[in-house]
Amino acid sequence: MIRSYIKIAWRSLKTNRLFSIVNILGLSIGLATTLVLFLFILHERSFDSMYANKDKIYRVLLNTTEDDLETWTGSPSAVALELEANIPDIAEAGRLLKHDFGGTAFIKASNEVFTEKKLFWSDASVLDMFDVEIVKGEGSEVLKTPNTVLLSESTAKRYFGNENPIGKTLTIDDVDVVEVRGIFKDFPENSSLDFNVVAPFLMQNAAKNPTWDNASFETFLRFNSASPNVANVEAKIQDILDKNVKKDDQWYNFSLQPLEEIHLYSSTYKDSYIERNGDINQIRNLTALAILILIIACINYMNLITARSQKRATDVGINKTLGASVRDIIVRFYIETGLITAIAMILGGVLAVVALPVFNDIAGKELDISSLFSIEIIIFLVLIWFVTSLISGSYPALYLSRFSPKEVLKPSTNKGGVASVIRKGLVVVQFSASVVLIIGVIVIHQQLEYIQNKSLGYNPENVMAISTSAIRGGQANQALVNAFKKLPNVSVVGRSQGYPGMGVSGRSINKPNTDETMGISTNTSEREVADVLQLKLLAGQLLPKNKQAGDTLVEVVVNKTTVDFLGLSPEEAIGKKVAMQLGNNAYIHGVVEDFNFASLHNPIGAYAFHNSNREPKSYLLIRFTNEVLSETISNFENTFKNIAPNSAFEYTFLDKNLELLYEKEQRTANVGLLFSILAVIVACLGLFGLAAYMAEQRHKEIGIRKVFGASVPRIVQLLSMDFMRLVLISLVISFPLAFYFMNQWLQDFAYRVTISWTVFAIAGALALMITFVTVGYQAVKAAVANPIKSLRTE
Amino acid sequence: MIQITDLEKFYKTEEVQTIALNKLSFNVKEGEFVAIMGPSGCGKSTLLNILGLLDDPDGGSFMFNGTEVAGYNERKRSELRKHNIGFVFQSFNLIDELTVFENVELPLIYTGVKPAERKKQVEAVLEKMQIMHRRNHFPQQLSGGQQQRVAVARAVVNKPKLILADEPTGNLDSTNGNEVMDLLIDLNEAGTTIIMVTHSEHDAKYSHRIIRMLDGQKVTENILA
Repeated sequence: MIRSYIKIAWRSLKTNRLFSIVNILGLSIGLATTLVLFLFILHERSFDSMYANKDKIYRVLLNTTEDDLETWTGSPSAVALELEANIPDIAEAGRLLKHDFGGTAFIKASNEVFTEKKLFWSDASVLDMFDVEIVKGEGSEVLKTPNTVLLSESTAKRYFGNENPIGKTLTIDDVDVVEVRGIFKDFPENSSLDFNVVAPFLMQNAAKNPTWDNASFETFLRFNSASPNVANVEAKIQDILDKNVKKDDQWYNFSLQPLEEIHLYSSTYKDSYIERNGDINQIRNLTALAILILIIACINYMNLITARSQKRATDVGINKTLGASVRDIIVRFYIETGLITAIAMILGGVLAVVALPVFNDIAGKELDISSLFSIEIIIFLVLIWFVTSLISGSYPALYLSRFSPKEVLKPSTNKGGVASVIRKGLVVVQFSASVVLIIGVIVIHQQLEYIQNKSLGYNPENVMAISTSAIRGGQANQALVNAFKKLPNVSVVGRSQGYPGMGVSGRSINKPNTDETMGISTNTSEREVADVLQLKLLAGQLLPKNKQAGDTLVEVVVNKTTVDFLGLSPEEAIGKKVAMQLGNNAYIHGVVEDFNFASLHNPIGAYAFHNSNREPKSYLLIRFTNEVLSETISNFENTFKNIAPNSAFEYTFLDKNLELLYEKEQRTANVGLLFSILAVIVACLGLFGLAAYMAEQRHKEIGIRKVFGASVPRIVQLLSMDFMRLVLISLVISFPLAFYFMNQWLQDFAYRVTISWTVFAIAGALALMITFVTVGYQAVKAAVANPIKSLRTE
Repeated sequence: MIQITDLEKFYKTEEVQTIALNKLSFNVKEGEFVAIMGPSGCGKSTLLNILGLLDDPDGGSFMFNGTEVAGYNERKRSELRKHNIGFVFQSFNLIDELTVFENVELPLIYTGVKPAERKKQVEAVLEKMQIMHRRNHFPQQLSGGQQQRVAVARAVVNKPKLILADEPTGNLDSTNGNEVMDLLIDLNEAGTTIIMVTHSEHDAKYSHRIIRMLDGQKVTENILA
């Protein structure tokens, strides 16, 4: 019996080409989308699952308790030591510092200088808890002696080619000379930690003098047993904190984050050295989108199959007069759906293979096609096949099976009733979803446009930042400044710790005679930097030109937000002493207008340029008079290499760097666009099919109308209006939904566009236009047909 | 075989109630060939639906082989139907996606006959209907007369005791129509009871008895043989 059903289903597929193509194509697009996303989710969820101690490893998070209430992934350098010593549940603790607090290292190996972005200073215990596999030489224990280093396999190859790297020396930033003592296996692609070079943490100042101040060190803990009592441990950590830091000086507390949450739940945390971060919200949104597209495709199936209920009713009727039971009919429809879904599945698989590189490109991922053939994916496919067949098949199976066999003898003239209402409802659902997506894409696009064109309070165009962290000594640096000043096309040159768009040092500023404090970003820089950035001076002066060696006086140029916090006008602030962890001798020398030194996600905070020598000035900022050409850059490189032969020439343009701040949003926009297009295509396929059958069903009515004088445009209008009305209802439903969702999304930005009515107008017009084009074709075809034909068939 | 007494059927729409069958009574004996005639709307089709257990009467009694079947539920009716009744329709109602052989096979599948046995029975009946050479064709590839012969073959393959024919020659020319009537006569002579609804006086003359209906009631009854 089942064979006979499959036969009927298969032949019916072949005879009803349009129906089959629309259905199968729609379903396969839905399935391909789901498949690619499942791959992506699987990959994201697999992060850090390869570590044997994965259930025992936790990261210490620092939660600021003042003003902004941020969570940082770094903690002070004393934390690991105190916790390991005082909490018996903790087997070991270790600290991790990315070179130069997140910067690039210049490593001289043999006689070549390499730019190294993944140099970490680490305690031996970190390597132990993450069971880093050593393939050559010694292991983590070398990190207990200074001037040693471990390299990853690929890095060793990059530095030394095929020579044996063990025993070779490296010079880091022209300062530290270290010996290669061991080689470890490259970290897998789905590991949060990813080192190229690991040097001993104990070589850092922070290790020599552990403090409770500078929260720049990622601290990992390994517990004796899996799933420790976190609340209990956190309480103990608070006790330790209380013992070491006076209550009044505690501007933070600690919490613990399990390793398995590091990848997906850290996207809002500040300044992590871990760059391979995912985002659970992104995963949730994408899952929702995939399900939405799949549902739209299932709806197509249901709609199309019930739209043909006239023919189906006769079929069901004949089978019933021949002895088929209701159960037989239900089974038959499920089999038919199962067959179509299976074909769609195969096609969807092929589409997924084709689409994967595109998705990788758009989403910035590296998903592997071979993983499509894993056991998880196969189980997932069977599951999806089953669920899709069940959802899509239920409606026809349960609805059509109840047709009375009488239909055979006297086909009913009732064209739909409940079925037609449900069908219309489903079309409305499809289109509402599509319109929400269209609006979403437009708003995201507008917001990104807005961000990129917003006036930032400084001018990021035509500014280059060259990394000089490998150049030691004032003389070499001064020579560099002088050399660049002489180059054509250069207007101003200044040295600085960092530049807008990158993090600098976080401190806190105290309002005199109060307990109030506020976080402040501080940037050691030269006077010229304000000119390079074209900041507007409101009061006082820029930093003084020269500073005597040994001078303990610290001059500070703050932004407007800082003096607002202090409750002073810019003029009043000049000459005032400030308590901002820059010693007891820091005075406000000048005030500049606010500028967006971070991304536009955040409102402008307090910012200060100062001339204390606590942090190194690692960048040379250069403003050009006009656009830079590639020959200018090579000219710069030569100038740089002449003075600093031991450093690699690494540079960025400030405006390019800013674009990176919105990379995530750009990706979201691209992925959103892709999904929206797919959803609209699938919905249109359904509409197209539905319109075809609607025209077929009403061909007699059309014939009669034409005989009695209806014109072609009138008929087209008649057929299209039905669908237009549905789309209009969808608009009414989708507008508030879209407004709500997009408003939520915009809350992430401190600076954002308002959603204008034109967005809705555009989306609405687009939806109506798409509908008209899709339905219009069928309508015109039906309208121009010879009425004699349609009237004769009855 | 069939005894109907005071059979009633109403159709209701929102505003009007139409009486399709108005206290109709008659009997059909086993082996009889009865033709039912009457103008459009006289209740012929409704009657055939009820006799074929496709529809339920609103009143009266319907005894099938001595059992009261009025009020049977769909499952029981379906069971009774598939073992006892074969249908022939004016518009043939073959399934487009199935070949001649497969169409005829379908009732046997529903009654659970084994494949080998099915093949034997289907071939026998196709042979008898002289349509064996068309066994692998699809309905659209056949002439109207051939299609109706397939439909008859499908109706009799289960060896039903009763065949209900709804204007079996209505869509056929006279030559093909006569051929189909000859088939029905043959079946009747072999013992199958036949009830046929028709507009054609010519076809009706093949039967033993003609029942004429008007407005849901029996008007006359002519015994021919």
